[in-house]
Amino acid sequence: MSKRNTTKWLMLLVLVLSLLLVACGGNNMANNEPAANQPAEEPMEEPAAEEPAAEEPAAEEPAAEEPAAEEPAAEEPAAEEPMMVDAEANGLSECVVATDGPLAGVDPSDVSIVWWYNHSGSREEQLLPLLDEFNNSNPCGITVEGQNQGSYNDIRDKVNSSTAAGELPAALVVGYQNDQAFYQLNNALADLNTYVGDATWGLGAAQDDFYASFFNQSIHPAFGGQRLGFPPNRSMEVMYYNQTWLEELGFDGPPTTPDEFKAMACAAAEANGDGTGGFILRDDASAVAAWTFAFGGDVLTEDGTHYNYSGPATVEAMTFLKGMLDDGCAYFFTEGYPNPEFAARRAIFAMGSSSGIPFYGGDVLTVAEENGTEPDNWGVTAIPHTTPEPVQNIYGGDIMITATTPEQQLAAWIFVKWFTTPEIQAQWDQISGYFPTRQATNEFLAGYFDENPQWAQAVDLLPYSYYEPQLISYQSTRDGAQEAFNAIMQGADAQATLDDLTQTANETQDELMSEIQ
Amino acid sequence: MATQSATGPETAVNQRTLSIFTGRRGRTLKEVVLAYVLITPAFLIIFTFGIFPLAFSVYQSTLRGLNKIVGTYDGLGNYTKAIGNLAYVLGFWMAVIFLFLAVNALIKQTHVTKKYEERPWLFTIPGIVLAVGTALFVRFVYIILPEVLGISESLRAAKQAGSEETTAVLFKGFLAEIWQKPDIQRPFWTAVIIFLIAFALIYIFLRLLPRSPRNSSYIATFFQSTLLIIGALFLGWFTLTEVQAAYTAAAESGETLEIWTQTITISAGLVLLLLSWFIWRSANHQDSTAGTFIRLGAGSLLIIGAWVLIGELPAAALSGDDDWYLGLLNTVYYSVGSIPIQFAVSLMLATFLFQDIKGKSFFRMIFFLPYITPAVGAAASFRILFSGRVDAPINRIITAFGFEPLAWLNGSTGIFQMIAGDGVTLPTWAAGPSLSLVVIILFGVWTFIGFNTVILLAGLGAIPHELYEAASIDGGNRWSQFRHITLPLLSPTIYFLTLWAVIGTFKAFNHIYVLRTGAALGTADTASIVIFDAMKRDTRYGYAAALAVLLLIIVMGLTVINNRIASKRVFYG
Amino acid sequence: MANIPVTTHAPETQLHPKSRRVDIGRIVIYIVLVFGGLLAIIPFLFSISVSLMNLTEATGGALLPSTPQWSNYIDAWNEASFGLYFWNSIKLALITVSGQVIFSTAAAYAFARIEFPGKNFLFALLLSTLILPEAVTWVPNFITVIWLDRITPFKWFNNWPALTIPFMSSAFSILLLRQFFQQIPEELWDSAQIDGAGHLRYLIRVVMPLSRAALVTIVLFNFIGSWNALAWPILVTQTPDWRPISYGLLSFLDEAGSLAHLRMAGAVITILPLILVYFFTQKEFTEGIATTGLKG
Repeated sequence: MSKRNTTKWLMLLVLVLSLLLVACGGNNMANNEPAANQPAEEPMEEPAAEEPAAEEPAAEEPAAEEPAAEEPAAEEPAAEEPMMVDAEANGLSECVVATDGPLAGVDPSDVSIVWWYNHSGSREEQLLPLLDEFNNSNPCGITVEGQNQGSYNDIRDKVNSSTAAGELPAALVVGYQNDQAFYQLNNALADLNTYVGDATWGLGAAQDDFYASFFNQSIHPAFGGQRLGFPPNRSMEVMYYNQTWLEELGFDGPPTTPDEFKAMACAAAEANGDGTGGFILRDDASAVAAWTFAFGGDVLTEDGTHYNYSGPATVEAMTFLKGMLDDGCAYFFTEGYPNPEFAARRAIFAMGSSSGIPFYGGDVLTVAEENGTEPDNWGVTAIPHTTPEPVQNIYGGDIMITATTPEQQLAAWIFVKWFTTPEIQAQWDQISGYFPTRQATNEFLAGYFDENPQWAQAVDLLPYSYYEPQLISYQSTRDGAQEAFNAIMQGADAQATLDDLTQTANETQDELMSEIQ
Repeated sequence: MATQSATGPETAVNQRTLSIFTGRRGRTLKEVVLAYVLITPAFLIIFTFGIFPLAFSVYQSTLRGLNKIVGTYDGLGNYTKAIGNLAYVLGFWMAVIFLFLAVNALIKQTHVTKKYEERPWLFTIPGIVLAVGTALFVRFVYIILPEVLGISESLRAAKQAGSEETTAVLFKGFLAEIWQKPDIQRPFWTAVIIFLIAFALIYIFLRLLPRSPRNSSYIATFFQSTLLIIGALFLGWFTLTEVQAAYTAAAESGETLEIWTQTITISAGLVLLLLSWFIWRSANHQDSTAGTFIRLGAGSLLIIGAWVLIGELPAAALSGDDDWYLGLLNTVYYSVGSIPIQFAVSLMLATFLFQDIKGKSFFRMIFFLPYITPAVGAAASFRILFSGRVDAPINRIITAFGFEPLAWLNGSTGIFQMIAGDGVTLPTWAAGPSLSLVVIILFGVWTFIGFNTVILLAGLGAIPHELYEAASIDGGNRWSQFRHITLPLLSPTIYFLTLWAVIGTFKAFNHIYVLRTGAALGTADTASIVIFDAMKRDTRYGYAAALAVLLLIIVMGLTVINNRIASKRVFYG
Repeated sequence: MANIPVTTHAPETQLHPKSRRVDIGRIVIYIVLVFGGLLAIIPFLFSISVSLMNLTEATGGALLPSTPQWSNYIDAWNEASFGLYFWNSIKLALITVSGQVIFSTAAAYAFARIEFPGKNFLFALLLSTLILPEAVTWVPNFITVIWLDRITPFKWFNNWPALTIPFMSSAFSILLLRQFFQQIPEELWDSAQIDGAGHLRYLIRVVMPLSRAALVTIVLFNFIGSWNALAWPILVTQTPDWRPISYGLLSFLDEAGSLAHLRMAGAVITILPLILVYFFTQKEFTEGIATTGLKG
């Protein structure tokens, strides 16, 4: 008995000791970080998991709207007059304090701010030197510290729970346009109109260099026209195609119309003969929107306040895809992103975000290496369209400046402004694979275009951009759209299902809007 | 409250433990203090992180708003949104149940007092005072809660204004400010004073009245009953106000409401059902002919009651949330689909493992592996195994046997519907769980079989083997041994496991979250997923809280039913 | 009920003294057990197999890798900083489990052996937390943690206290230990009292040593629970300093995207430690299950 007793005691002792040890360790760490109480200011010691997730196709939750949406190809960015934008002027040459205007007397000198982003792994490793560059060079002595906080969803949770607990979230936060509306229900964001148009700190003429649609995407009529976010980058819904395989099957190049697309997919499916080979269907709401655009329609009503999924374009597009599925020219792959399937020639076409380009490329090379063959030649193109010109669905997260002190907000703005100067944006685009949001950036990307032909192909599609809704209810409507797409693919009547979707989505939208007022 | 009866079987044990102390009354006070010291750390933790959230949810479920922790007051609004007018019926019935529990506790106590010939009725006074004190304290908590939650806003405002103070200092400042408000002070001190009076009374009455080891439990009963009655009155009053408010609103907009008729009809149906149950039970004490007639009567009551309910319940629940109903239906499918299979298989495995076989602990370990696997990791491999692709692993196996490949995780059609074929269209409730939900059920079964087996095996080990020997001498075959010895003696284990499994299926989240696909069209979303979506995706915290409270009520109800059945069938050897 | 803990091993040998006829039945039993065992571990075998494949094989649905790609494990390990998360999870699990052992034992003893006013009420209150869906607790507990951060001298948020203290006691552990303590024979308490021992000494000298199996059982359960924690760590960690492994695995699953072989390698890495813990504690665990309230 006594011997067993001792053992138990030892066991307990070890447990208690380990408790104490770790407890002390934890406290030490806390002591080393004086600002530890403010989670926003904790240093980021190690990059969390590498997370290309954000770049991966489906990880992009686009949400965008152009309320005053004109016809699709409205803005021709790579157009004539290459606006001479002085990088210096757009950035910052000296740190002055504005004497008039809303920012009069706000001194951003020596302010430290934190940026919560979803970038991780190698992308974050390359981003941090950029931040260092800003920290060392900006004349105001502003320090920006980057913190990877997981996915977009994790960041949303964190902002919401911080607000609930009375903490200020980080000064800079990434997120989608419909998140902005939710944050602003608690007045958690700063209105960027103040900064964009400020005489001392504003963008001035450089404002016109941004693609207008990206630039105005974060203006929220529901919140009195406040500008709640700023676009540092964008991605696009594109069609990936296997050029080598197309040529083997006797086609010249990628399809432009749905009929060509179907013929090619069916040929490839026939070649494989096991249910694979054709097109991998994507059930995401962004894909539903992309197909609708490509068939010449829109998922929003004309005034941009409600959804309209029941238009003829959506119905036609869904019917077309259902036809492809029924004919065995398309299939579902729901276990993950489709890039390995595409690389392994189990699909000749795949649809997804342009930010997946590096992964498609990597997988194609890996497969070739493993099989000792030449890598397939592949590319990206517009979604097959019935419209004369392509209409491409473009989306991407914004940077938001949270409502903190005037000094912090101004410092954050100074950083955002610097981060979107053409030269820096070009660097960031090369790091991240995202698209630029202003024309002048292209000048700095010439070399990169040559090295990354697929990326260049996609950038060429930027002029044809169109946008998804940024209505406050879009988060749940996305789920609804996905469900409707699946229901139709499983045999439900397209028109009836889409009518239902439209009705439910609009009910939710009205309900949420009534909560705001 | 319903868990009160969960402790039912234990009370007998407590009573026995209690008898140890009869001879040593002098030490009682010291012991009581020690007991409180021992439970304090555990209770602080569980109270803070397990019970406070419950109170918080109840409070929040009466609020409405998007992404607002403190939304605007909406009474039963969230509940009517979830289950339609049934919310009012539920409110009244909860009040009735509280009353019933209170009366029941008092009646039970009368039996005890009669048995020991004691007259503890004077203890009602401290009991009632203590309960009033508690109720006042709860009231105080609900008064101070929104104020304290409001600090968040003030804090952010202060920080946005560039306050130099640290958060902690600011927070303490705001807290002190709230604390000094007379609106906060008055209820607090009232509660404290009543508490002090109650403790003084308890002390006085304990000295005044004849000593008995049951005195503290008498006080506890009176306390508990009073608290329940207060709760019932409050709930009844609250529901009544809500109904009146609904009628006023309806009158203004010129609609007609049927809340009262619905409440009365449904209540009548429920009363009929209860009546028939009591009558049916009383038939057991009658001779056969009378018993038959009584049973017939009970049966007809049952039919009428059920008919009334079937007629009225859907009407009352009509305006509820379809997603929520689907979630509940899926949860029921999940429970009903996984628990019986789980038990059949693990009982078989346990009996087999209990034989004198080689590699027993090896098998036990293998079977237990799924239980210890992180759900995220295992679900990741299920996602590939049960993919809807034609050439996914499971589909390849079934096609090898000549079957058609199935959609599995992407399947949204109910399995009964699939069996019935395209020719017949079954209503939603009869279509059965979708294939997607079936995979999730399989996952649940896979995870818990080992857990159940290990515990059942332990239960088998506790059965004295003399019984088997005696049985084999009597010439009982294996099956009759199993039927007459194993099963009855295993029933406590089975009871525990079912309760645990039912609770588990209602709480299940992680693997469903990983395994659900868009293609399943929501047919795999159980109640906890619907709650999660309401909270995370839609940021309707109040509504999510209301759904969670409803789920809690359902689980409590199931626990009570399980206990009822168990008290009949479980054999406590 | 109040008998000395019975181990499962006693009766087996006497049960079936006869041999011939049983043999056929025994073969059937073995077949069923092996089949059941296979079903139980097929997902693991599948994971392991896929985790060793290259991209072509993993995509093409091969059954076994032609040449095992052990480097997948190194890739997964490096890419997801599993090293850090591993160590975090081990620390967190140890702290949680230590707290559980101390606090739950104390409370369970009080509930099992001492009579005090409000006992039944408090116990019922405790049990009601068993059925509380986890989702209900997220928002309130997040706010509580932030407040504790402000009004207590030590740091909770994004630190070990927020990740461990809420789990240092649970109704389940208390219930389980209480059942066990109630089975300890009264005579031991009587003789302890004759020796002049009070409750505390009795608890530490007699009850806890006798309850080794039960304690190991709650250690195992809580270890598993702590290792698998997911939603809560996502909410209360901000930097990787204390992020646990399941968070790491989840973000890895998201990020490795469709690379099934790396996903599976990550999953296997995460599962292994639990298997080891179970392997080393399984004897006590089995006994613990056999002797606690779990079996009824």
